[in-house]
Amino acid sequence: MRHASLLLLLVACLAGVPLTLALGHEGHHAECNDTTINAVKADIQAMSKGEAKTTATKEMETAQQLMAKDDMEGCKSHIHSAMEATEQ
Amino acid sequence: MRSASSLWGPLVGALLAFAIVGFAVVYSGLYNIAADVPHTQPVYWLLETVRDHSVEARARDIVVPNDLNDPTRISKGAGQYADMCSACHLAPGMKRTEISQGLYPRAPELRRKTNLTPAEQFWVVKHGIKMTGMPAWGVTHDDDLLWDMVAFIRKLPELTSEQYETLVKNAPKHEEMMQKMEMDHDHEHGGEHQ
Repeated sequence: MRHASLLLLLVACLAGVPLTLALGHEGHHAECNDTTINAVKADIQAMSKGEAKTTATKEMETAQQLMAKDDMEGCKSHIHSAMEATEQ
Repeated sequence: MRSASSLWGPLVGALLAFAIVGFAVVYSGLYNIAADVPHTQPVYWLLETVRDHSVEARARDIVVPNDLNDPTRISKGAGQYADMCSACHLAPGMKRTEISQGLYPRAPELRRKTNLTPAEQFWVVKHGIKMTGMPAWGVTHDDDLLWDMVAFIRKLPELTSEQYETLVKNAPKHEEMMQKMEMDHDHEHGGEHQ
């Protein structure tokens, strides 16, 4: 009975990990669609020249390539990285 | 070797073709002016370059007051900034607003350092920028109040969110400054404008 409770507690804790990670990036709405891509591109255009802008541009190019290949998860991940670069 | 007169034909042809393409682009509705679709990079570069050089040329002769570090100026500018600018240009510790996310071109986040000189900042604040959403605050504000804003904007990148909040909280109210400006105008009639 005690083992079962501990196991239940462990499962509950592990189940909360993805939620915690997701909440860490709640500020970024990284959908893989034209609206988000255009919004991030507008953000990038407004950035000053530098390493962050280069990174964001490359990430967006990769995201668009992945979107064309229907790899939506990969696309989201790169859009997310581009968004992070725009905030530097 | 071709004579000069034989070059006229191709030159006129090229100009005519250019004019026809230009006419078609302008009148066909081909170019998307929606604010949620960014300009192509060449168009963005062109507009940005025109803007930067225009501001630089017009701000060249503006005389910058030597008291931009005056805490009173900065404090007065803080109140105005919070009321008039922060919705688009944001502030330390502030999340992006709906308007800042929808504006195109994006309003620069002024908590980040800028390459503009104080004179250029003053010119932009006073005259605004066409087709960007940046209004000409000089229509309703006198130069002294605009310099207060510039003084604060110069200080902004150094501020933490707590320092920003404190400055804004202790700043004179915007309405009071506007009333004072109007009273000063009634008394003075004519000051130097840049």
